[in-house]
Amino acid sequence: MIKTGISSFDDSVGGIDLRKTYLLSGNKESNKEDFIYRAVTSALQSKVAVVYVTTGKPVSDVLSEFSSKHLNIAQYLGTSLKLIDVYSRSITPQAGDNNYTKMLNGPLDLTGLSVALSAMNADMSKEGIPVLNIIDSLSVLLLYNNPTTMYRFLQFVCGRAKMAGISSVFLIDNEMHAPDVNETIKSLMDAVISLKMEGGKRTFKVSGNAKEVLDWKDI
Amino acid sequence: MAKGKDPIFGIGRLDEELSGIPARKGVLFFASPAVGNEVFGYQLIQNNLIHNNKVLLYLNRASPKAYLADMKEYDFITNDNLSMIDSYSGITGINSSDGSIGRMIKNPYDKEEIKKAITDELEKDYDLIVIDSLSLIADFFDFDFALSIVDLINNKIKNSDSSAVFLFTDWNYGEDNVDKLISKVNARVDIKGIEKRVIFGQYFAVIKCDWVIGKKFTSVLFKSVKPGGIKIYFPKILVTGPTDAGKTSFIHSASKDAISVDRLGGTIALDHGNVDFKGYKADLFGTPGQERFDPLLKLLGGEAVGVILIIDSTKPTQFPRAIEMLRKTETYGLPIVVVANKANMPGALGIDEVRDKLHLEKEAPLIQTVAENVENIDPNKPAKLKKEGIEAALSALFEELT
Repeated sequence: MIKTGISSFDDSVGGIDLRKTYLLSGNKESNKEDFIYRAVTSALQSKVAVVYVTTGKPVSDVLSEFSSKHLNIAQYLGTSLKLIDVYSRSITPQAGDNNYTKMLNGPLDLTGLSVALSAMNADMSKEGIPVLNIIDSLSVLLLYNNPTTMYRFLQFVCGRAKMAGISSVFLIDNEMHAPDVNETIKSLMDAVISLKMEGGKRTFKVSGNAKEVLDWKDI
Repeated sequence: MAKGKDPIFGIGRLDEELSGIPARKGVLFFASPAVGNEVFGYQLIQNNLIHNNKVLLYLNRASPKAYLADMKEYDFITNDNLSMIDSYSGITGINSSDGSIGRMIKNPYDKEEIKKAITDELEKDYDLIVIDSLSLIADFFDFDFALSIVDLINNKIKNSDSSAVFLFTDWNYGEDNVDKLISKVNARVDIKGIEKRVIFGQYFAVIKCDWVIGKKFTSVLFKSVKPGGIKIYFPKILVTGPTDAGKTSFIHSASKDAISVDRLGGTIALDHGNVDFKGYKADLFGTPGQERFDPLLKLLGGEAVGVILIIDSTKPTQFPRAIEMLRKTETYGLPIVVVANKANMPGALGIDEVRDKLHLEKEAPLIQTVAENVENIDPNKPAKLKKEGIEAALSALFEELT
């Protein structure tokens, strides 16, 4: 189990299971990013290697957001934390790789994403430590690729991650997509973590996991 | 009529095997989703531009600027012989093409506009047409439309001196669709991964080629290297042989970045170096020669794919030890090249004598090597061996391996 560092979640569910694929679903107000940033920090502190894919903002923004939340991950960059930037080259075509970031050509390059994930996972798996893939988020990829293409992509990357013993969390803004798209993507995952904000409180529930939380629970 | 020579692959091994891409032929680069084929496209385009071939690139995978920036990272520079149809910028709404390199499709969701753009461009005389990527056309529309684009291009090249290359990733489009696609091309090169839990190697293999008859093709391991592009790669080549035969000298002479774990010039753990030679890339692992380190030999021989056995031509008494080391490294059966070092020293055996005393078969490669400056050799440092011998040994081994 990979602890998320969110006590209500870890106490109820135990954390993120190894070898499992999760959909982290919620709208903008649900603050999925905060959940995942804390989970990433906790995983790194527990000697879990993380591959973080950003599709809707540049890596520099992601790192700034960690920093603004006082989540210190700088020490892991390039070693147990590597990032894949699907966004930057859409704006700055010449944006190049560095020792912790692989730049991809844009959201249409799902093959490039699959190849980069596969290569980083292979490198990290050689260390013999657990690996966590974060894809933040599917919603941007769904804006540019048709759903059938995305289902094929997800089926492949989820299958490969499970074969390699890697845990994966895919973020999605569920309100951006048609119900059938949300349902099909859920069916490709082992478990779904749903987040929402209601009455000024952020809550979660989990289905498909060994330990489920079927009623909304405070984070 | 196209103006350049027949297009080439720009990847040494494919050009050796298939003699380039003849006019009126279509080639499919067929990749698995975990292994990229884009570098094959970059290298192909770059080398054809250098050969003064006019290349048309239909691009829907990246913006032209991002594509060129990516090529540049591999040290592939384009020139005026390249034209593009930009079918990407219209999707993102960000026009990153300045128009100087070709035309932009305003509505990449419009099949007719795409067909018209390709048809119009095909009226110009290109030597090579590259589609990157055909699978994205299938993703955007449907597989039948992708097949219709292949037909459109095939019809054009059949009546001209052009050739075409289609970059395709098999995202599980179904056997029938893929079979139809394969039936429409003259050659198919598969690009796949070697995988256990994760992919630990990549290879390409010619699966079909209708202009080369009666030849058996083999799979070739490769790495994509920045800068440089596709490098044929052999994960591990073992360099073994008795004490002071010249293993360390061979590795240091063959590699630019060799390192040794040694004491007073004698290897006590291993030598390591990278070889980059004629498009082939290899890791050389050298064993110690002293018997007290024999427990290491099996470990160092593990996963080797080829062996260079170094012997001292002046010391036939060590030859049984050389054979013993082959046994202890458990590398029998692997491709092997014997290097008879110190071949110009007094008392050195000739090639036939070495072959006889080592009980080598007549066909087994045996290469003689000599040091560059015999009079200046420091016994505590690896000697520099002459380039001719090193290159002959590497060529012989790579020939054995492929």
